[in-house]
Amino acid sequence: MGVIGYGLGVIGAALAIGLAAFGATSAMARQPEIQGRAFTVFILASAFAEALGLIGFVVTLIS
Amino acid sequence: MEAFDKLSGEILHLVQEFSSASVFGDLTVGLTQYSFWLLVAAVVFCLVMVLFVRRASLVPHGVFVNGVEYLIDYVTNDVAKGVIGTEWRRHFPFLLTLFFFIFINNVIGLIPGMKPGTGAIGCTAALAICSFIYFVWRGCQKHGFFGYWKSLAPAGVMFPMNVFVWVIELFSLILRPITLAIRLFCNMFAGHIVMGSFAIMASLFAEPLFEQLSALNAAMALPSIAWLAILLIIYVVEMIVAFVQAYVFTILTAVYIQIAEADEH
Repeated sequence: MGVIGYGLGVIGAALAIGLAAFGATSAMARQPEIQGRAFTVFILASAFAEALGLIGFVVTLIS
Repeated sequence: MEAFDKLSGEILHLVQEFSSASVFGDLTVGLTQYSFWLLVAAVVFCLVMVLFVRRASLVPHGVFVNGVEYLIDYVTNDVAKGVIGTEWRRHFPFLLTLFFFIFINNVIGLIPGMKPGTGAIGCTAALAICSFIYFVWRGCQKHGFFGYWKSLAPAGVMFPMNVFVWVIELFSLILRPITLAIRLFCNMFAGHIVMGSFAIMASLFAEPLFEQLSALNAAMALPSIAWLAILLIIYVVEMIVAFVQAYVFTILTAVYIQIAEADEH
Protein backbone atom coordinates (compact mmCIF):
# COMPACT_ATOMS: atom_id res chain seq x y z
CA MET A 1 0.00 0.00 0.00
CA GLY A 2 2.83 2.34 0.85
CA VAL A 3 4.27 1.92 -2.63
CA ILE A 4 0.94 2.81 -4.24
CA GLY A 5 0.74 5.86 -2.02
CA TYR A 6 4.17 6.93 -3.13
CA GLY A 7 3.20 6.44 -6.76
CA LEU A 8 0.16 8.67 -6.27
CA GLY A 9 2.15 11.31 -4.45
CA VAL A 10 4.88 11.49 -7.02
CA ILE A 11 2.38 12.53 -9.73
CA GLY A 12 2.39 16.02 -8.25
CA ALA A 13 6.17 16.28 -8.21
CA ALA A 14 6.37 14.96 -11.77
CA LEU A 15 3.85 17.55 -12.98
CA ALA A 16 5.77 20.29 -11.17
CA ILE A 17 9.10 19.37 -12.76
CA GLY A 18 7.42 19.09 -16.16
CA LEU A 19 5.91 22.55 -15.77
CA ALA A 20 9.28 23.96 -14.71
CA ALA A 21 10.97 22.42 -17.75
CA PHE A 22 8.21 23.74 -19.99
CA GLY A 23 8.64 27.25 -18.65
CA ALA A 24 12.40 27.11 -18.90
CA THR A 25 12.45 25.83 -22.48
CA SER A 26 9.89 28.33 -23.73
CA ALA A 27 11.75 31.16 -21.98
CA MET A 28 15.00 30.02 -23.59
CA ALA A 29 13.33 29.80 -27.01
CA ARG A 30 11.96 33.32 -26.73
CA GLN A 31 15.13 34.83 -25.36
CA PRO A 32 18.25 32.73 -26.02
CA GLU A 33 20.50 35.18 -24.16
CA ILE A 34 18.77 34.38 -20.87
CA GLN A 35 19.77 30.69 -21.16
CA GLY A 36 22.24 30.57 -18.25
CA ARG A 37 19.98 32.26 -15.73
CA ALA A 38 16.89 30.40 -16.85
CA PHE A 39 18.73 27.12 -16.39
CA THR A 40 19.75 28.08 -12.83
CA VAL A 41 16.17 28.98 -11.97
CA PHE A 42 14.95 25.73 -13.55
CA ILE A 43 17.41 23.67 -11.50
CA LEU A 44 16.35 25.45 -8.32
CA ALA A 45 12.64 25.01 -9.00
CA SER A 46 12.98 21.35 -9.87
CA ALA A 47 15.08 20.78 -6.75
CA PHE A 48 12.20 22.14 -4.68
CA ALA A 49 9.63 20.01 -6.44
CA GLU A 50 11.83 16.93 -6.38
CA ALA A 51 12.36 17.26 -2.64
CA LEU A 52 8.60 16.84 -2.10
CA GLY A 53 8.56 13.63 -4.11
CA LEU A 54 11.58 12.35 -2.22
CA ILE A 55 9.99 13.09 1.15
CA GLY A 56 7.18 10.75 0.11
CA PHE A 57 9.70 8.10 -0.92
CA VAL A 58 11.64 8.25 2.33
CA VAL A 59 8.52 8.27 4.50
CA THR A 60 7.28 5.20 2.59
CA LEU A 61 10.54 3.37 3.28
CA ILE A 62 11.01 4.40 6.91
CA SER A 63 7.50 3.91 8.29
CA MET B 1 9.86 -15.19 -11.40
CA GLU B 2 11.83 -16.13 -8.32
CA ALA B 3 14.00 -13.00 -8.71
CA PHE B 4 11.00 -10.80 -7.93
CA ASP B 5 10.12 -12.92 -4.89
CA LYS B 6 13.54 -12.35 -3.38
CA LEU B 7 13.53 -8.65 -4.27
CA SER B 8 11.37 -7.30 -1.44
CA GLY B 9 13.44 -9.08 1.20
CA GLU B 10 16.68 -7.82 -0.28
CA ILE B 11 15.37 -4.25 -0.44
CA LEU B 12 14.25 -4.40 3.19
CA HIS B 13 17.76 -5.56 4.03
CA LEU B 14 19.19 -2.66 2.00
CA VAL B 15 17.01 -0.11 3.82
CA GLN B 16 18.12 -1.54 7.16
CA GLU B 17 21.73 -1.11 6.13
CA PHE B 18 21.13 2.60 5.75
CA SER B 19 20.10 3.16 9.38
CA SER B 20 22.91 4.30 11.64
CA ALA B 21 25.03 1.49 13.06
CA SER B 22 28.02 2.07 15.27
CA VAL B 23 31.50 1.45 13.91
CA PHE B 24 33.49 2.27 17.05
CA GLY B 25 31.91 2.37 20.52
CA ASP B 26 28.11 2.46 20.76
CA LEU B 27 25.38 4.81 19.55
CA THR B 28 25.68 7.22 22.51
CA VAL B 29 29.49 7.58 22.52
CA GLY B 30 31.24 6.52 19.36
CA LEU B 31 31.13 6.73 15.61
CA THR B 32 28.37 5.56 13.30
CA GLN B 33 29.25 4.81 9.69
CA TYR B 34 27.84 8.22 8.73
CA SER B 35 29.89 10.17 11.25
CA PHE B 36 32.97 8.17 10.26
CA TRP B 37 32.62 9.21 6.60
CA LEU B 38 31.75 12.71 7.79
CA LEU B 39 35.15 12.89 9.52
CA VAL B 40 36.81 11.48 6.39
CA ALA B 41 35.09 14.17 4.33
CA ALA B 42 36.27 16.86 6.76
CA VAL B 43 39.86 15.62 6.44
CA VAL B 44 39.55 15.52 2.64
CA PHE B 45 38.11 19.04 2.73
CA CYS B 46 41.10 20.32 4.74
CA LEU B 47 43.56 18.53 2.44
CA VAL B 48 41.91 19.91 -0.70
CA MET B 49 41.98 23.45 0.65
CA VAL B 50 45.59 23.26 1.90
CA LEU B 51 46.76 21.77 -1.42
CA PHE B 52 44.80 24.38 -3.34
CA VAL B 53 46.22 27.31 -1.38
CA ARG B 54 49.76 25.95 -1.85
CA ARG B 55 49.39 25.46 -5.57
CA ALA B 56 47.24 28.46 -6.40
CA SER B 57 48.96 31.02 -8.57
CA LEU B 58 47.99 33.94 -10.75
CA VAL B 59 47.76 31.65 -13.78
CA PRO B 60 46.21 28.35 -12.63
CA HIS B 61 47.80 25.12 -13.87
CA GLY B 62 46.36 21.63 -13.92
CA VAL B 63 42.94 20.06 -13.51
CA PHE B 64 42.85 20.22 -9.70
CA VAL B 65 43.58 23.92 -9.26
CA ASN B 66 41.37 24.87 -12.18
CA GLY B 67 38.51 22.73 -10.91
CA VAL B 68 38.55 24.15 -7.40
CA GLU B 69 38.89 27.65 -8.80
CA TYR B 70 35.89 27.08 -11.06
CA LEU B 71 33.74 26.03 -8.09
CA ILE B 72 34.90 29.00 -6.02
CA ASP B 73 34.17 31.30 -8.95
CA TYR B 74 30.73 29.77 -9.33
CA VAL B 75 29.86 30.37 -5.67
CA THR B 76 31.27 33.90 -5.85
CA ASN B 77 29.39 34.99 -8.94
CA ASP B 78 26.18 33.00 -8.82
CA VAL B 79 25.48 32.73 -5.12
CA ALA B 80 27.27 35.51 -3.27
CA LYS B 81 27.25 38.34 -5.81
CA GLY B 82 24.06 37.28 -7.53
CA VAL B 83 21.86 36.94 -4.45
CA ILE B 84 23.38 39.06 -1.68
CA GLY B 85 24.68 41.92 -3.81
CA THR B 86 27.23 44.51 -2.73
CA GLU B 87 27.69 43.13 0.80
CA TRP B 88 28.67 39.66 -0.47
CA ARG B 89 32.23 39.72 0.84
CA ARG B 90 31.19 39.46 4.51
CA HIS B 91 29.17 36.30 3.99
CA PHE B 92 31.43 34.70 1.42
CA PRO B 93 33.55 32.57 3.83
CA PHE B 94 30.49 31.01 5.43
CA LEU B 95 28.79 30.26 2.12
CA LEU B 96 31.91 28.78 0.57
CA THR B 97 32.58 26.54 3.58
CA LEU B 98 28.99 25.33 3.51
CA PHE B 99 29.13 24.61 -0.21
CA PHE B 100 32.42 22.72 -0.17
CA PHE B 101 31.57 20.75 2.95
CA ILE B 102 28.26 19.49 1.56
CA PHE B 103 29.71 18.92 -1.90
CA ILE B 104 32.66 16.84 -0.66
CA ASN B 105 30.36 14.84 1.61
CA ASN B 106 27.99 14.08 -1.26
CA VAL B 107 30.81 13.11 -3.61
CA ILE B 108 32.38 10.81 -1.02
CA GLY B 109 29.03 9.06 -0.66
CA LEU B 110 29.02 8.29 -4.39
CA ILE B 111 32.10 6.07 -4.19
CA PRO B 112 30.83 2.48 -3.78
CA GLY B 113 31.31 1.19 -0.25
CA MET B 114 31.31 4.65 1.29
CA LYS B 115 28.39 6.47 2.85
CA PRO B 116 27.63 10.17 2.47
CA GLY B 117 27.96 12.07 5.73
CA THR B 118 24.92 14.08 4.64
CA GLY B 119 22.84 10.90 4.35
CA ALA B 120 21.94 11.06 8.05
CA ILE B 121 19.27 13.47 9.26
CA GLY B 122 21.42 14.48 12.25
CA CYS B 123 24.17 15.89 10.06
CA THR B 124 21.87 17.85 7.76
CA ALA B 125 19.91 19.15 10.75
CA ALA B 126 23.16 20.41 12.30
CA LEU B 127 24.09 22.15 9.05
CA ALA B 128 20.64 23.70 8.76
CA ILE B 129 20.75 24.93 12.37
CA CYS B 130 24.17 26.48 11.67
CA SER B 131 22.77 28.43 8.75
CA PHE B 132 19.64 29.34 10.77
CA ILE B 133 21.72 30.75 13.63
CA TYR B 134 23.97 32.53 11.14
CA PHE B 135 21.22 34.42 9.34
CA VAL B 136 19.28 35.26 12.49
CA TRP B 137 22.52 36.51 14.07
CA ARG B 138 23.33 38.65 11.01
CA GLY B 139 19.81 40.04 11.03
CA CYS B 140 20.12 40.89 14.73
CA GLN B 141 23.45 42.60 14.02
CA LYS B 142 21.93 44.68 11.27
CA HIS B 143 18.64 45.71 12.86
CA GLY B 144 19.29 45.14 16.57
CA PHE B 145 17.71 42.26 18.50
CA PHE B 146 14.19 43.64 18.83
CA GLY B 147 14.45 45.42 15.52
CA TYR B 148 15.04 42.13 13.73
CA TRP B 149 12.08 40.35 15.27
CA LYS B 150 9.95 43.40 14.55
CA SER B 151 11.16 43.56 10.95
CA LEU B 152 9.67 40.13 10.26
CA ALA B 153 6.36 41.87 9.62
CA PRO B 154 6.50 44.47 6.84
CA ALA B 155 6.27 48.10 7.94
CA GLY B 156 3.21 50.09 7.01
CA VAL B 157 0.60 47.39 7.55
CA MET B 158 -2.44 48.25 9.68
CA PHE B 159 -2.46 47.11 13.31
CA PRO B 160 -4.53 43.89 13.41
CA MET B 161 -3.16 42.56 10.11
CA ASN B 162 0.33 43.36 11.36
CA VAL B 163 0.21 40.74 14.11
CA PHE B 164 -1.30 38.20 11.76
CA VAL B 165 1.47 38.65 9.16
CA TRP B 166 4.10 38.54 11.90
CA VAL B 167 2.87 35.16 13.12
CA ILE B 168 2.88 33.76 9.57
CA GLU B 169 6.40 35.08 8.96
CA LEU B 170 7.61 33.60 12.24
CA PHE B 171 6.16 30.26 11.19
CA SER B 172 7.94 30.38 7.83
CA LEU B 173 11.16 31.37 9.62
CA ILE B 174 10.96 28.26 11.80
CA LEU B 175 10.14 26.10 8.78
CA ARG B 176 13.27 27.22 6.91
CA PRO B 177 15.89 25.11 8.74
CA ILE B 178 13.52 22.12 8.80
CA THR B 179 13.02 22.18 5.04
CA LEU B 180 16.75 22.73 4.45
CA ALA B 181 17.61 19.67 6.53
CA ILE B 182 14.91 17.39 5.12
CA ARG B 183 15.62 18.32 1.48
CA LEU B 184 19.32 17.44 1.67
CA PHE B 185 18.74 14.29 3.73
CA CYS B 186 15.97 12.94 1.49
CA ASN B 187 17.95 13.54 -1.68
CA MET B 188 21.02 11.69 -0.43
CA PHE B 189 19.08 8.88 1.26
CA ALA B 190 16.62 8.25 -1.58
CA GLY B 191 19.28 8.47 -4.28
CA HIS B 192 21.39 5.81 -2.62
CA ILE B 193 18.38 3.55 -1.98
CA VAL B 194 17.41 3.73 -5.66
CA MET B 195 20.96 3.00 -6.81
CA GLY B 196 21.15 0.09 -4.38
CA SER B 197 17.80 -1.33 -5.55
CA PHE B 198 18.90 -1.41 -9.19
CA ALA B 199 22.22 -2.99 -8.26
CA ILE B 200 20.32 -5.67 -6.31
CA MET B 201 17.97 -6.28 -9.24
CA ALA B 202 20.87 -6.63 -11.67
CA SER B 203 22.58 -9.19 -9.44
CA LEU B 204 19.35 -11.11 -8.64
CA PHE B 205 18.47 -11.63 -12.30
CA ALA B 206 22.00 -12.70 -13.22
CA GLU B 207 22.35 -15.04 -10.23
CA PRO B 208 21.02 -18.28 -11.85
CA LEU B 209 23.38 -17.79 -14.80
CA PHE B 210 26.44 -17.89 -12.57
CA GLU B 211 25.22 -20.99 -10.77
CA GLN B 212 24.40 -22.97 -13.90
CA LEU B 213 25.23 -22.02 -17.47
CA SER B 214 22.21 -22.74 -19.68
CA ALA B 215 20.20 -21.04 -22.43
CA LEU B 216 17.17 -20.54 -20.18
CA ASN B 217 19.22 -18.91 -17.46
CA ALA B 218 20.96 -16.70 -20.01
CA ALA B 219 17.58 -15.54 -21.32
CA MET B 220 16.43 -14.88 -17.74
CA ALA B 221 19.56 -12.80 -17.14
CA LEU B 222 18.92 -10.49 -20.10
CA PRO B 223 16.93 -7.90 -18.09
CA SER B 224 19.92 -7.35 -15.85
CA ILE B 225 21.66 -5.58 -18.76
CA ALA B 226 18.80 -3.09 -18.73
CA TRP B 227 19.02 -2.76 -14.93
CA LEU B 228 22.76 -2.08 -15.22
CA ALA B 229 22.11 0.59 -17.87
CA ILE B 230 19.51 2.24 -15.61
CA LEU B 231 21.95 2.01 -12.70
CA LEU B 232 24.59 3.84 -14.72
CA ILE B 233 22.13 6.56 -15.72
CA ILE B 234 21.01 6.98 -12.11
CA TYR B 235 24.66 7.15 -11.06
CA VAL B 236 25.24 10.05 -13.46
CA VAL B 237 22.07 11.75 -12.20
CA GLU B 238 23.34 11.30 -8.63
CA MET B 239 26.59 13.04 -9.58
CA ILE B 240 24.54 16.00 -10.78
CA VAL B 241 22.38 15.82 -7.64
CA ALA B 242 25.50 15.90 -5.44
CA PHE B 243 26.40 19.26 -6.97
CA VAL B 244 22.87 20.63 -7.24
CA GLN B 245 21.99 19.87 -3.62
CA ALA B 246 25.13 21.59 -2.33
CA TYR B 247 24.28 24.51 -4.61
CA VAL B 248 20.64 24.65 -3.51
CA PHE B 249 21.58 24.56 0.18
CA THR B 250 24.09 27.38 -0.31
CA ILE B 251 21.84 29.56 -2.45
CA LEU B 252 18.91 29.18 -0.04
CA THR B 253 21.16 30.19 2.86
CA ALA B 254 22.23 33.21 0.80
CA VAL B 255 18.60 34.11 0.08
CA TYR B 256 17.73 33.86 3.78
CA ILE B 257 20.71 36.03 4.72
CA GLN B 258 19.63 38.57 2.12
CA ILE B 259 16.08 38.58 3.51
CA ALA B 260 17.35 38.95 7.08
CA GLU B 261 19.58 41.89 6.14
CA ALA B 262 17.14 43.65 3.84
CA ASP B 263 16.32 47.18 4.94
CA GLU B 264 12.60 47.25 4.28
CA HIS B 265 10.29 44.35 3.64
